[in-house]
Amino acid sequence: MNSLTQIPPGTQILIGEAVRRRRAVERTLLSVFQGWSYEEIIPPMLDYLDVFVKGMGQELEDRIYRFVDREGKILALRPEFTSLVAKSAATRLAGASLPVRLSYSGEVLRFETPKGGQQREFAQTGIEHYGGDSARADVEVLLICMEGLSKLGIPNFQINLGSVGFFGGLVEAIEPSDGLIDRLRSLLNVKDQHGLDQLLGALDLDPSTRNALREVPHLAGSREVIARGRHLVNSRRSIEALDHLESIYSIIDELGLARHLTVDLGEIRGFDYYSGILFRAYVPGLGFEVASGGRYDGLPAQFGHDVPAVGFSYSLERLEQVLGSGPAPGSDARQESCDQTSFEDAVRLRRAGKRVRICS
Amino acid sequence: MFVVALAKGRFLAPSLDLLARAGILFEEELRESRRLIFQSCDGTCRVILVKPIDVPTYVEYGAADVGIAGRDVLLESRADVLQPLDLGFGQCRIVVAARDGESRVDTDPTIVRVATKYPRIALSYFNSRGTPVELISLSGSIELAPLVGLADRIVDLVETGQTLRDNGMRVVDVITESSARLLVNRASYQTKREDLVRLIETLEVVR
Repeated sequence: MNSLTQIPPGTQILIGEAVRRRRAVERTLLSVFQGWSYEEIIPPMLDYLDVFVKGMGQELEDRIYRFVDREGKILALRPEFTSLVAKSAATRLAGASLPVRLSYSGEVLRFETPKGGQQREFAQTGIEHYGGDSARADVEVLLICMEGLSKLGIPNFQINLGSVGFFGGLVEAIEPSDGLIDRLRSLLNVKDQHGLDQLLGALDLDPSTRNALREVPHLAGSREVIARGRHLVNSRRSIEALDHLESIYSIIDELGLARHLTVDLGEIRGFDYYSGILFRAYVPGLGFEVASGGRYDGLPAQFGHDVPAVGFSYSLERLEQVLGSGPAPGSDARQESCDQTSFEDAVRLRRAGKRVRICS
Repeated sequence: MFVVALAKGRFLAPSLDLLARAGILFEEELRESRRLIFQSCDGTCRVILVKPIDVPTYVEYGAADVGIAGRDVLLESRADVLQPLDLGFGQCRIVVAARDGESRVDTDPTIVRVATKYPRIALSYFNSRGTPVELISLSGSIELAPLVGLADRIVDLVETGQTLRDNGMRVVDVITESSARLLVNRASYQTKREDLVRLIETLEVVR
Protein backbone atom coordinates (compact mmCIF):
# COMPACT_ATOMS: atom_id res chain seq x y z
CA MET A 1 0.00 0.00 0.00
CA ASN A 2 1.26 3.44 -0.84
CA SER A 3 0.36 5.64 2.12
CA LEU A 4 1.00 8.79 0.11
CA THR A 5 -1.71 8.11 -2.45
CA GLN A 6 -4.31 6.08 -0.53
CA ILE A 7 -6.59 7.48 2.15
CA PRO A 8 -6.98 5.57 5.45
CA PRO A 9 -10.24 3.57 5.64
CA GLY A 10 -13.18 5.58 6.95
CA THR A 11 -11.84 9.01 6.10
CA GLN A 12 -13.14 11.19 3.29
CA ILE A 13 -12.32 14.28 1.31
CA LEU A 14 -15.12 16.69 0.35
CA ILE A 15 -14.68 18.94 -2.67
CA GLY A 16 -16.80 21.42 -4.61
CA GLU A 17 -20.55 20.79 -4.46
CA ALA A 18 -20.11 18.36 -1.54
CA VAL A 19 -18.47 21.12 0.51
CA ARG A 20 -21.13 23.69 -0.44
CA ARG A 21 -23.80 21.20 0.59
CA ARG A 22 -22.05 20.46 3.89
CA ARG A 23 -21.69 24.17 4.71
CA ALA A 24 -25.28 24.91 3.71
CA VAL A 25 -26.66 22.15 5.96
CA GLU A 26 -24.41 23.24 8.81
CA ARG A 27 -25.40 26.90 8.38
CA THR A 28 -29.10 26.07 8.37
CA LEU A 29 -28.85 24.01 11.55
CA LEU A 30 -26.62 26.49 13.39
CA SER A 31 -29.04 29.28 12.54
CA VAL A 32 -31.90 27.24 14.03
CA PHE A 33 -29.82 26.76 17.19
CA GLN A 34 -29.03 30.46 17.26
CA GLY A 35 -32.72 31.21 16.86
CA TRP A 36 -33.35 29.31 20.11
CA SER A 37 -30.56 31.29 21.85
CA TYR A 38 -27.87 28.60 21.84
CA GLU A 39 -24.30 29.87 22.06
CA GLU A 40 -21.84 28.12 19.76
CA ILE A 41 -18.81 26.50 21.34
CA ILE A 42 -15.69 25.17 19.60
CA PRO A 43 -14.26 22.45 21.86
CA PRO A 44 -10.81 20.91 21.40
CA MET A 45 -10.16 18.09 18.92
CA LEU A 46 -8.68 15.91 21.67
CA ASP A 47 -8.88 15.43 25.41
CA TYR A 48 -7.84 12.86 28.02
CA LEU A 49 -9.23 9.41 27.27
CA ASP A 50 -10.98 9.26 30.66
CA VAL A 51 -13.25 12.15 29.68
CA PHE A 52 -14.84 10.04 26.95
CA VAL A 53 -14.82 6.70 28.76
CA LYS A 54 -16.84 8.24 31.60
CA GLY A 55 -19.45 9.35 29.13
CA MET A 56 -19.64 6.67 26.46
CA GLY A 57 -19.18 3.68 28.72
CA GLN A 58 -16.93 0.64 28.47
CA GLU A 59 -18.60 -0.84 25.42
CA LEU A 60 -17.59 2.05 23.20
CA GLU A 61 -14.18 2.52 24.73
CA ASP A 62 -12.62 0.21 22.15
CA ARG A 63 -13.78 2.48 19.37
CA ILE A 64 -11.83 5.50 20.54
CA TYR A 65 -8.72 6.62 18.66
CA ARG A 66 -6.12 7.17 21.36
CA PHE A 67 -2.47 8.04 21.71
CA VAL A 68 0.09 8.83 24.37
CA ASP A 69 1.43 12.35 24.89
CA ARG A 70 4.99 13.19 25.90
CA GLU A 71 4.21 12.94 29.61
CA GLY A 72 2.74 9.47 29.19
CA LYS A 73 -0.89 10.60 29.55
CA ILE A 74 -3.41 8.86 27.31
CA LEU A 75 -5.20 11.26 24.99
CA ALA A 76 -8.06 10.57 22.61
CA LEU A 77 -9.43 12.16 19.46
CA ARG A 78 -13.00 13.15 20.23
CA PRO A 79 -15.45 10.29 19.48
CA GLU A 80 -18.47 12.50 20.37
CA PHE A 81 -19.22 15.97 21.67
CA THR A 82 -21.48 15.48 24.66
CA SER A 83 -18.77 14.59 27.20
CA LEU A 84 -16.47 17.26 25.84
CA VAL A 85 -19.09 20.02 25.91
CA ALA A 86 -20.23 18.94 29.39
CA LYS A 87 -16.65 19.19 30.61
CA SER A 88 -16.19 22.58 28.97
CA ALA A 89 -19.41 23.84 30.52
CA ALA A 90 -18.43 22.50 33.94
CA THR A 91 -15.01 24.12 33.86
CA ARG A 92 -15.62 27.36 31.95
CA LEU A 93 -19.25 28.14 32.72
CA ALA A 94 -19.58 26.83 36.27
CA GLY A 95 -20.66 30.24 37.58
CA ALA A 96 -23.00 31.12 34.70
CA SER A 97 -26.69 31.49 35.40
CA LEU A 98 -28.75 28.49 34.38
CA PRO A 99 -29.93 27.26 32.00
CA VAL A 100 -26.80 27.25 29.83
CA ARG A 101 -27.47 26.58 26.13
CA LEU A 102 -24.59 25.51 23.88
CA SER A 103 -24.30 24.36 20.27
CA TYR A 104 -21.43 22.78 18.36
CA SER A 105 -20.52 21.50 14.94
CA GLY A 106 -17.52 19.47 13.87
CA GLU A 107 -15.94 16.13 13.13
CA VAL A 108 -15.66 13.18 15.50
CA LEU A 109 -13.73 9.94 15.05
CA ARG A 110 -14.73 6.41 15.92
CA PHE A 111 -13.06 3.19 14.99
CA GLU A 112 -16.13 1.42 13.64
CA THR A 113 -17.55 0.01 10.43
CA PRO A 114 -18.66 2.82 8.13
CA LYS A 115 -22.46 2.67 7.73
CA GLY A 116 -25.26 4.70 6.25
CA GLY A 117 -22.87 7.22 4.71
CA GLN A 118 -21.17 7.68 8.05
CA GLN A 119 -17.44 7.03 7.94
CA ARG A 120 -14.96 6.62 10.81
CA GLU A 121 -14.58 10.36 10.69
CA PHE A 122 -17.99 11.98 10.59
CA ALA A 123 -19.62 15.32 11.27
CA GLN A 124 -22.02 16.07 14.10
CA THR A 125 -23.96 19.25 14.68
CA GLY A 126 -25.90 19.50 17.90
CA ILE A 127 -26.85 21.19 21.15
CA GLU A 128 -26.62 20.70 24.88
CA HIS A 129 -28.96 22.25 27.44
CA TYR A 130 -27.85 22.45 31.11
CA GLY A 131 -30.04 23.24 34.11
CA GLY A 132 -33.63 24.35 34.17
CA ASP A 133 -36.87 22.42 34.44
CA SER A 134 -36.30 19.03 32.86
CA ALA A 135 -39.70 18.46 31.19
CA ARG A 136 -39.55 21.91 29.58
CA ALA A 137 -35.93 21.44 28.51
CA ASP A 138 -36.77 18.04 26.98
CA VAL A 139 -39.59 19.61 24.96
CA GLU A 140 -37.29 22.43 23.90
CA VAL A 141 -34.63 20.14 22.42
CA LEU A 142 -37.26 17.96 20.70
CA LEU A 143 -38.79 21.05 19.09
CA ILE A 144 -35.37 22.25 17.95
CA CYS A 145 -34.62 18.82 16.47
CA MET A 146 -37.92 18.97 14.55
CA GLU A 147 -37.38 22.54 13.38
CA GLY A 148 -33.93 21.73 12.04
CA LEU A 149 -35.31 18.89 9.91
CA SER A 150 -38.15 21.09 8.65
CA LYS A 151 -35.78 23.94 7.80
CA LEU A 152 -33.69 21.52 5.77
CA GLY A 153 -36.79 20.78 3.73
CA ILE A 154 -37.41 17.31 5.19
CA PRO A 155 -41.16 17.29 5.91
CA ASN A 156 -41.71 13.60 6.76
CA PHE A 157 -39.59 12.68 9.73
CA GLN A 158 -40.42 10.51 12.69
CA ILE A 159 -38.98 10.93 16.17
CA ASN A 160 -38.89 7.79 18.26
CA LEU A 161 -39.04 8.77 21.93
CA GLY A 162 -38.17 6.39 24.76
CA SER A 163 -37.04 6.64 28.34
CA VAL A 164 -34.44 4.66 30.25
CA GLY A 165 -36.53 5.25 33.41
CA PHE A 166 -39.38 2.94 32.40
CA PHE A 167 -37.10 -0.07 31.90
CA GLY A 168 -34.91 1.00 34.83
CA GLY A 169 -37.91 0.90 37.17
CA LEU A 170 -39.01 -2.47 35.81
CA VAL A 171 -35.73 -4.19 36.58
CA GLU A 172 -35.20 -2.57 40.00
CA ALA A 173 -36.60 -5.71 41.61
CA ILE A 174 -34.20 -8.01 39.73
CA GLU A 175 -30.89 -8.98 41.31
CA PRO A 176 -28.26 -7.36 39.10
CA SER A 177 -26.30 -10.61 38.80
CA ASP A 178 -24.53 -12.34 35.92
CA GLY A 179 -25.11 -9.51 33.48
CA LEU A 180 -28.79 -10.43 33.45
CA ILE A 181 -29.98 -6.88 32.98
CA ASP A 182 -27.55 -6.42 30.10
CA ARG A 183 -28.93 -9.56 28.46
CA LEU A 184 -32.49 -8.30 28.89
CA ARG A 185 -31.45 -4.97 27.48
CA SER A 186 -29.80 -6.49 24.41
CA LEU A 187 -32.88 -8.66 23.68
CA LEU A 188 -35.19 -5.66 24.04
CA ASN A 189 -32.91 -3.56 21.84
CA VAL A 190 -33.70 -5.84 18.89
CA LYS A 191 -37.27 -6.62 20.01
CA ASP A 192 -36.37 -10.33 20.08
CA GLN A 193 -39.60 -11.76 21.50
CA HIS A 194 -38.43 -15.36 21.14
CA GLY A 195 -35.17 -14.79 23.01
CA LEU A 196 -36.97 -12.73 25.63
CA ASP A 197 -39.52 -15.50 26.26
CA GLN A 198 -36.73 -18.05 26.61
CA LEU A 199 -34.77 -15.91 29.06
CA LEU A 200 -37.81 -14.92 31.14
CA GLY A 201 -39.01 -18.53 31.24
CA ALA A 202 -35.77 -19.57 32.89
CA LEU A 203 -35.91 -16.84 35.55
CA ASP A 204 -37.57 -16.84 38.93
CA LEU A 205 -39.52 -13.59 38.60
CA ASP A 206 -42.77 -12.38 40.07
CA PRO A 207 -45.52 -12.74 37.44
CA SER A 208 -46.22 -9.02 37.08
CA THR A 209 -42.58 -8.16 36.29
CA ARG A 210 -42.35 -11.07 33.86
CA ASN A 211 -45.54 -10.01 32.12
CA ALA A 212 -44.42 -6.39 31.91
CA LEU A 213 -41.02 -7.31 30.45
CA ARG A 214 -42.72 -9.58 27.88
CA GLU A 215 -44.84 -6.63 26.75
CA VAL A 216 -42.01 -4.10 26.37
CA PRO A 217 -41.26 -4.86 22.67
CA HIS A 218 -44.90 -4.09 21.85
CA LEU A 219 -45.02 -0.79 23.71
CA ALA A 220 -44.43 1.37 20.67
CA GLY A 221 -46.88 3.67 18.94
CA SER A 222 -48.71 6.89 19.71
CA ARG A 223 -49.91 8.30 23.02
CA GLU A 224 -51.95 5.23 24.04
CA VAL A 225 -48.67 3.38 24.63
CA ILE A 226 -48.11 5.46 27.76
CA ALA A 227 -51.49 4.36 29.15
CA ARG A 228 -50.74 0.73 28.29
CA GLY A 229 -47.42 1.05 30.09
CA ARG A 230 -49.17 2.30 33.24
CA HIS A 231 -51.16 -0.91 33.57
CA LEU A 232 -47.97 -2.95 33.63
CA VAL A 233 -45.87 -1.30 36.30
CA ASN A 234 -46.00 -0.15 39.90
CA SER A 235 -42.41 0.95 40.36
CA ARG A 236 -42.21 4.64 41.18
CA ARG A 237 -39.36 5.19 38.75
CA SER A 238 -41.30 3.65 35.85
CA ILE A 239 -44.41 5.69 36.68
CA GLU A 240 -42.42 8.92 36.88
CA ALA A 241 -40.92 8.13 33.48
CA LEU A 242 -44.42 7.64 32.05
CA ASP A 243 -45.67 10.89 33.64
CA HIS A 244 -42.72 12.66 32.13
CA LEU A 245 -43.37 11.24 28.64
CA GLU A 246 -47.05 12.12 28.98
CA SER A 247 -46.31 15.76 29.76
CA ILE A 248 -43.84 16.01 26.85
CA TYR A 249 -46.33 14.36 24.50
CA SER A 250 -49.18 16.66 25.48
CA ILE A 251 -47.17 19.85 24.89
CA ILE A 252 -46.01 18.60 21.49
CA ASP A 253 -49.57 17.52 20.70
CA GLU A 254 -50.92 21.00 21.53
CA LEU A 255 -48.39 22.46 19.09
CA GLY A 256 -49.82 20.20 16.38
CA LEU A 257 -46.59 18.22 15.99
CA ALA A 258 -47.60 14.89 17.55
CA ARG A 259 -47.72 13.21 14.14
CA HIS A 260 -43.92 13.32 14.14
CA LEU A 261 -43.65 11.63 17.52
CA THR A 262 -43.67 7.91 18.35
CA VAL A 263 -43.41 6.66 21.91
CA ASP A 264 -41.33 3.49 22.21
CA LEU A 265 -40.85 2.20 25.75
CA GLY A 266 -38.47 -0.47 24.42
CA GLU A 267 -36.13 2.24 23.13
CA ILE A 268 -33.29 1.99 25.64
CA ARG A 269 -30.27 1.86 23.33
CA GLY A 270 -27.52 4.36 23.73
CA PHE A 271 -24.51 5.54 25.62
CA ASP A 272 -24.26 4.67 29.31
CA TYR A 273 -24.72 8.30 30.29
CA TYR A 274 -28.40 8.54 29.34
CA SER A 275 -30.62 8.93 32.41
CA GLY A 276 -34.04 10.04 31.18
CA ILE A 277 -35.60 10.45 27.76
CA LEU A 278 -33.76 9.32 24.66
CA PHE A 279 -34.78 9.78 21.07
CA ARG A 280 -33.81 9.10 17.47
CA ALA A 281 -35.06 10.81 14.33
CA TYR A 282 -35.79 8.79 11.19
CA VAL A 283 -36.54 9.91 7.65
CA PRO A 284 -38.24 7.80 4.94
CA GLY A 285 -35.72 6.35 2.52
CA LEU A 286 -32.76 6.09 4.89
CA GLY A 287 -32.22 2.95 6.98
CA PHE A 288 -30.38 4.75 9.77
CA GLU A 289 -31.29 7.54 12.19
CA VAL A 290 -30.34 11.09 11.16
CA ALA A 291 -30.31 12.51 14.68
CA SER A 292 -30.20 11.14 18.21
CA GLY A 293 -30.04 12.43 21.73
CA GLY A 294 -31.37 12.28 25.24
CA ARG A 295 -31.08 13.33 28.86
CA TYR A 296 -27.90 12.62 30.83
CA ASP A 297 -28.28 14.20 34.25
CA GLY A 298 -25.34 12.40 35.86
CA LEU A 299 -22.71 13.40 33.33
CA PRO A 300 -21.93 17.05 34.23
CA ALA A 301 -21.44 15.96 37.87
CA GLN A 302 -18.58 13.71 36.69
CA PHE A 303 -16.82 16.95 35.73
CA GLY A 304 -17.64 18.63 39.03
CA HIS A 305 -20.75 20.56 37.98
CA ASP A 306 -23.94 18.83 39.10
CA VAL A 307 -26.66 20.12 36.76
CA PRO A 308 -29.33 18.28 34.77
CA ALA A 309 -28.55 18.07 31.06
CA VAL A 310 -30.18 17.12 27.77
CA GLY A 311 -29.03 17.37 24.15
CA PHE A 312 -28.88 15.80 20.72
CA SER A 313 -26.89 15.84 17.52
CA TYR A 314 -27.55 15.43 13.83
CA SER A 315 -25.39 13.27 11.60
CA LEU A 316 -24.52 15.58 8.72
CA GLU A 317 -23.44 12.79 6.35
CA ARG A 318 -26.79 11.07 6.78
CA LEU A 319 -28.75 14.29 6.32
CA GLU A 320 -26.78 14.91 3.14
CA GLN A 321 -27.73 11.43 1.91
CA VAL A 322 -31.39 12.25 2.48
CA LEU A 323 -31.09 15.61 0.77
CA GLY A 324 -29.55 13.97 -2.31
CA SER A 325 -26.82 15.14 -4.60
CA GLY A 326 -28.43 18.18 -6.23
CA PRO A 327 -26.97 21.65 -5.88
CA ALA A 328 -26.70 22.85 -2.29
CA PRO A 329 -29.51 25.13 -1.09
CA GLY A 330 -28.44 28.75 -1.48
CA SER A 331 -25.46 27.62 -3.51
CA ASP A 332 -24.08 30.30 -5.84
CA ALA A 333 -21.94 27.88 -7.80
CA ARG A 334 -23.70 28.76 -11.02
CA GLN A 335 -23.18 32.49 -10.66
CA GLU A 336 -21.35 33.68 -13.74
CA SER A 337 -17.74 34.56 -13.15
CA CYS A 338 -15.96 36.88 -15.55
CA ASP A 339 -12.56 35.80 -16.74
CA GLN A 340 -10.03 38.61 -16.19
CA THR A 341 -6.59 39.04 -17.61
CA SER A 342 -5.73 42.27 -15.78
CA PHE A 343 -5.39 42.47 -12.02
CA GLU A 344 -6.63 46.05 -12.20
CA ASP A 345 -9.98 44.90 -13.63
CA ALA A 346 -10.13 42.03 -11.17
CA VAL A 347 -9.62 44.29 -8.14
CA ARG A 348 -12.22 46.78 -9.42
CA LEU A 349 -14.78 44.01 -9.96
CA ARG A 350 -14.02 42.49 -6.55
CA ARG A 351 -14.65 45.88 -4.92
CA ALA A 352 -18.03 45.82 -6.59
CA GLY A 353 -18.63 42.39 -5.07
CA LYS A 354 -18.39 40.50 -8.36
CA ARG A 355 -16.88 37.07 -8.80
CA VAL A 356 -13.71 37.00 -10.90
CA ARG A 357 -11.38 34.39 -12.25
CA ILE A 358 -7.86 35.29 -13.31
CA CYS A 359 -6.88 33.94 -16.73
CA SER A 360 -3.27 33.09 -17.32
CA MET B 1 -45.48 -0.35 0.05
CA PHE B 2 -42.64 -2.26 1.68
CA VAL B 3 -39.75 -4.38 0.44
CA VAL B 4 -39.06 -7.92 1.68
CA ALA B 5 -35.64 -9.53 1.21
CA LEU B 6 -35.82 -13.32 0.87
CA ALA B 7 -32.92 -15.73 0.79
CA LYS B 8 -32.42 -17.86 -2.30
CA GLY B 9 -31.94 -21.52 -1.51
CA ARG B 10 -33.47 -23.73 1.17
CA PHE B 11 -35.32 -20.84 2.90
CA LEU B 12 -37.14 -19.67 -0.21
CA ALA B 13 -39.98 -22.23 -0.33
CA PRO B 14 -40.95 -21.99 3.37
CA SER B 15 -40.62 -18.17 3.22
CA LEU B 16 -42.99 -17.94 0.25
CA ASP B 17 -45.42 -20.37 1.93
CA LEU B 18 -45.40 -18.18 5.01
CA LEU B 19 -46.05 -15.00 3.00
CA ALA B 20 -48.85 -16.81 1.13
CA ARG B 21 -50.50 -17.71 4.45
CA ALA B 22 -50.24 -14.02 5.36
CA GLY B 23 -52.11 -13.19 2.12
CA ILE B 24 -49.07 -11.97 0.19
CA LEU B 25 -49.20 -13.75 -3.16
CA PHE B 26 -47.23 -13.50 -6.39
CA GLU B 27 -48.46 -14.06 -9.90
CA GLU B 28 -45.18 -15.32 -11.15
CA GLU B 29 -43.49 -18.48 -10.01
CA LEU B 30 -40.57 -16.93 -8.11
CA ARG B 31 -38.84 -20.25 -7.67
CA GLU B 32 -38.35 -20.77 -11.39
CA SER B 33 -37.76 -17.23 -12.57
CA ARG B 34 -34.37 -15.69 -13.06
CA ARG B 35 -35.62 -12.25 -12.14
CA LEU B 36 -34.63 -10.80 -8.77
CA ILE B 37 -37.50 -8.37 -8.04
CA PHE B 38 -41.19 -9.31 -7.85
CA GLN B 39 -44.33 -7.34 -7.11
CA SER B 40 -47.07 -8.92 -4.99
CA CYS B 41 -50.53 -9.36 -6.57
CA ASP B 42 -52.14 -6.70 -4.39
CA GLY B 43 -49.25 -4.28 -4.98
CA THR B 44 -48.55 -3.82 -1.25
CA CYS B 45 -45.14 -5.40 -1.27
CA ARG B 46 -42.10 -6.14 -3.38
CA VAL B 47 -39.85 -9.13 -2.88
CA ILE B 48 -36.16 -9.14 -3.68
CA LEU B 49 -34.13 -12.36 -3.85
CA VAL B 50 -30.62 -12.26 -2.45
CA LYS B 51 -27.94 -14.60 -1.12
CA PRO B 52 -28.80 -15.82 2.41
CA ILE B 53 -25.76 -14.19 4.02
CA ASP B 54 -26.73 -10.84 2.43
CA VAL B 55 -30.28 -10.64 3.82
CA PRO B 56 -29.25 -8.92 7.10
CA THR B 57 -27.20 -6.36 5.14
CA TYR B 58 -30.11 -5.42 2.85
CA VAL B 59 -32.33 -4.96 5.90
CA GLU B 60 -29.77 -3.08 7.99
CA TYR B 61 -29.23 -0.50 5.25
CA GLY B 62 -32.95 -0.18 4.58
CA ALA B 63 -32.67 -1.44 0.98
CA ALA B 64 -35.29 -3.91 2.23
CA ASP B 65 -37.68 -2.98 5.05
CA VAL B 66 -37.95 -6.56 6.28
CA GLY B 67 -36.20 -9.83 5.55
CA ILE B 68 -36.24 -13.50 6.42
CA ALA B 69 -32.92 -15.06 7.40
CA GLY B 70 -31.51 -17.71 9.68
CA ARG B 71 -30.25 -16.70 13.09
CA ASP B 72 -26.88 -18.12 12.01
CA VAL B 73 -26.33 -15.54 9.26
CA LEU B 74 -27.70 -12.81 11.51
CA LEU B 75 -25.18 -13.63 14.25
CA GLU B 76 -22.39 -13.85 11.71
CA SER B 77 -23.26 -10.56 10.02
CA ARG B 78 -23.77 -8.66 13.32
CA ALA B 79 -26.25 -6.47 11.48
CA ASP B 80 -28.06 -3.96 13.70
CA VAL B 81 -31.70 -4.84 12.92
CA LEU B 82 -34.88 -5.60 14.84
CA GLN B 83 -35.72 -9.30 15.05
CA PRO B 84 -39.25 -9.47 16.41
CA LEU B 85 -40.26 -13.01 15.35
CA ASP B 86 -38.97 -16.55 15.31
CA LEU B 87 -40.68 -17.96 12.22
CA GLY B 88 -40.37 -21.57 13.31
CA PHE B 89 -38.82 -23.16 10.21
CA GLY B 90 -35.21 -23.81 9.29
CA GLN B 91 -34.36 -25.18 12.70
CA CYS B 92 -30.78 -26.31 13.11
CA ARG B 93 -27.75 -25.96 15.36
CA ILE B 94 -24.39 -24.30 14.96
CA VAL B 95 -21.92 -26.85 16.24
CA VAL B 96 -18.25 -27.59 16.70
CA ALA B 97 -17.44 -30.94 15.10
CA ALA B 98 -14.37 -33.14 14.86
CA ARG B 99 -13.35 -36.43 13.25
CA ASP B 100 -14.43 -39.56 15.10
CA GLY B 101 -11.63 -40.75 17.32
CA GLU B 102 -9.95 -37.34 17.40
CA SER B 103 -9.08 -36.93 21.07
CA ARG B 104 -8.15 -33.29 21.45
CA VAL B 105 -9.39 -31.59 24.64
CA ASP B 106 -10.12 -27.92 25.14
CA THR B 107 -7.26 -27.46 27.56
CA ASP B 108 -4.62 -28.46 25.02
CA PRO B 109 -2.41 -25.39 24.72
CA THR B 110 -1.70 -25.73 21.02
CA ILE B 111 -3.54 -23.73 18.41
CA VAL B 112 -6.68 -25.34 16.96
CA ARG B 113 -7.21 -24.99 13.24
CA VAL B 114 -10.91 -24.35 12.66
CA ALA B 115 -12.55 -24.45 9.23
CA THR B 116 -15.85 -22.58 8.95
CA LYS B 117 -18.04 -20.25 6.98
CA TYR B 118 -18.91 -18.52 10.27
CA PRO B 119 -15.57 -16.95 11.24
CA ARG B 120 -17.04 -14.44 13.69
CA ILE B 121 -19.22 -16.97 15.52
CA ALA B 122 -16.32 -19.42 15.66
CA LEU B 123 -13.83 -16.84 16.88
CA SER B 124 -16.10 -15.52 19.61
CA TYR B 125 -16.84 -19.10 20.78
CA PHE B 126 -13.17 -20.10 21.01
CA ASN B 127 -12.08 -16.73 22.42
CA SER B 128 -14.63 -16.96 25.22
CA ARG B 129 -13.09 -20.32 26.18
CA GLY B 130 -9.54 -19.04 25.98
CA THR B 131 -8.65 -21.49 23.19
CA PRO B 132 -6.20 -20.09 20.64
CA VAL B 133 -7.44 -20.72 17.09
CA GLU B 134 -6.38 -20.34 13.53
CA LEU B 135 -9.49 -19.69 11.45
CA ILE B 136 -9.73 -21.10 7.96
CA SER B 137 -12.60 -19.43 6.11
CA LEU B 138 -14.31 -21.66 3.56
CA SER B 139 -17.56 -21.14 1.70
CA GLY B 140 -18.83 -24.73 1.40
CA SER B 141 -18.17 -28.46 2.00
CA ILE B 142 -16.71 -27.60 5.39
CA GLU B 143 -16.80 -31.29 6.45
CA LEU B 144 -14.03 -32.00 4.00
CA ALA B 145 -11.46 -29.85 5.82
CA PRO B 146 -10.63 -32.23 8.72
CA LEU B 147 -10.67 -35.27 6.42
CA VAL B 148 -7.87 -33.90 4.27
CA GLY B 149 -5.88 -32.43 7.13
CA LEU B 150 -6.78 -28.78 6.45
CA ALA B 151 -8.32 -28.29 9.91
CA ASP B 152 -8.71 -29.95 13.35
CA ARG B 153 -12.27 -28.81 13.92
CA ILE B 154 -15.13 -27.30 11.99
CA VAL B 155 -17.85 -24.88 13.04
CA ASP B 156 -20.90 -25.47 10.89
CA LEU B 157 -24.66 -25.65 10.66
CA VAL B 158 -26.16 -29.07 11.38
CA GLU B 159 -29.76 -30.01 10.68
CA THR B 160 -29.95 -33.78 11.19
CA GLY B 161 -26.28 -34.61 11.59
CA GLN B 162 -26.38 -37.06 8.67
CA THR B 163 -23.69 -35.28 6.64
CA LEU B 164 -21.38 -35.34 9.65
CA ARG B 165 -21.98 -39.06 10.23
CA ASP B 166 -21.51 -39.87 6.55
CA ASN B 167 -18.12 -38.21 6.71
CA GLY B 168 -17.01 -39.89 9.91
CA MET B 169 -17.43 -36.86 12.17
CA ARG B 170 -19.14 -36.15 15.48
CA VAL B 171 -20.50 -33.09 17.28
CA VAL B 172 -18.15 -31.87 20.01
CA ASP B 173 -20.25 -28.97 21.27
CA VAL B 174 -23.38 -27.03 20.33
CA ILE B 175 -22.65 -23.29 20.09
CA THR B 176 -26.22 -22.13 19.61
CA GLU B 177 -29.57 -22.96 18.03
CA SER B 178 -30.71 -21.35 14.82
CA SER B 179 -34.01 -20.93 12.98
CA ALA B 180 -35.59 -18.49 10.56
CA ARG B 181 -36.09 -14.97 11.92
CA LEU B 182 -38.04 -11.99 10.70
CA LEU B 183 -35.69 -9.00 10.46
CA VAL B 184 -36.94 -5.42 10.39
CA ASN B 185 -35.00 -2.26 9.58
CA ARG B 186 -34.97 0.14 12.53
CA ALA B 187 -35.89 3.21 10.49
CA SER B 188 -38.63 1.42 8.51
CA TYR B 189 -40.16 0.29 11.79
CA GLN B 190 -40.69 3.98 12.57
CA THR B 191 -41.47 5.40 9.13
CA LYS B 192 -43.70 2.52 7.91
CA ARG B 193 -44.99 1.48 11.30
CA GLU B 194 -48.60 0.72 10.34
CA ASP B 195 -47.72 -1.60 7.45
CA LEU B 196 -44.96 -3.37 9.32
CA VAL B 197 -46.77 -3.85 12.62
CA ARG B 198 -49.67 -5.36 10.67
CA LEU B 199 -47.25 -7.67 8.85
CA ILE B 200 -45.55 -8.75 12.09
CA GLU B 201 -48.88 -9.42 13.79
CA THR B 202 -50.17 -11.43 10.82
CA LEU B 203 -46.99 -13.49 10.55
CA GLU B 204 -47.08 -14.17 14.28
CA VAL B 205 -50.50 -15.80 13.79
CA VAL B 206 -49.83 -17.76 10.59
CA ARG B 207 -46.24 -18.91 11.21
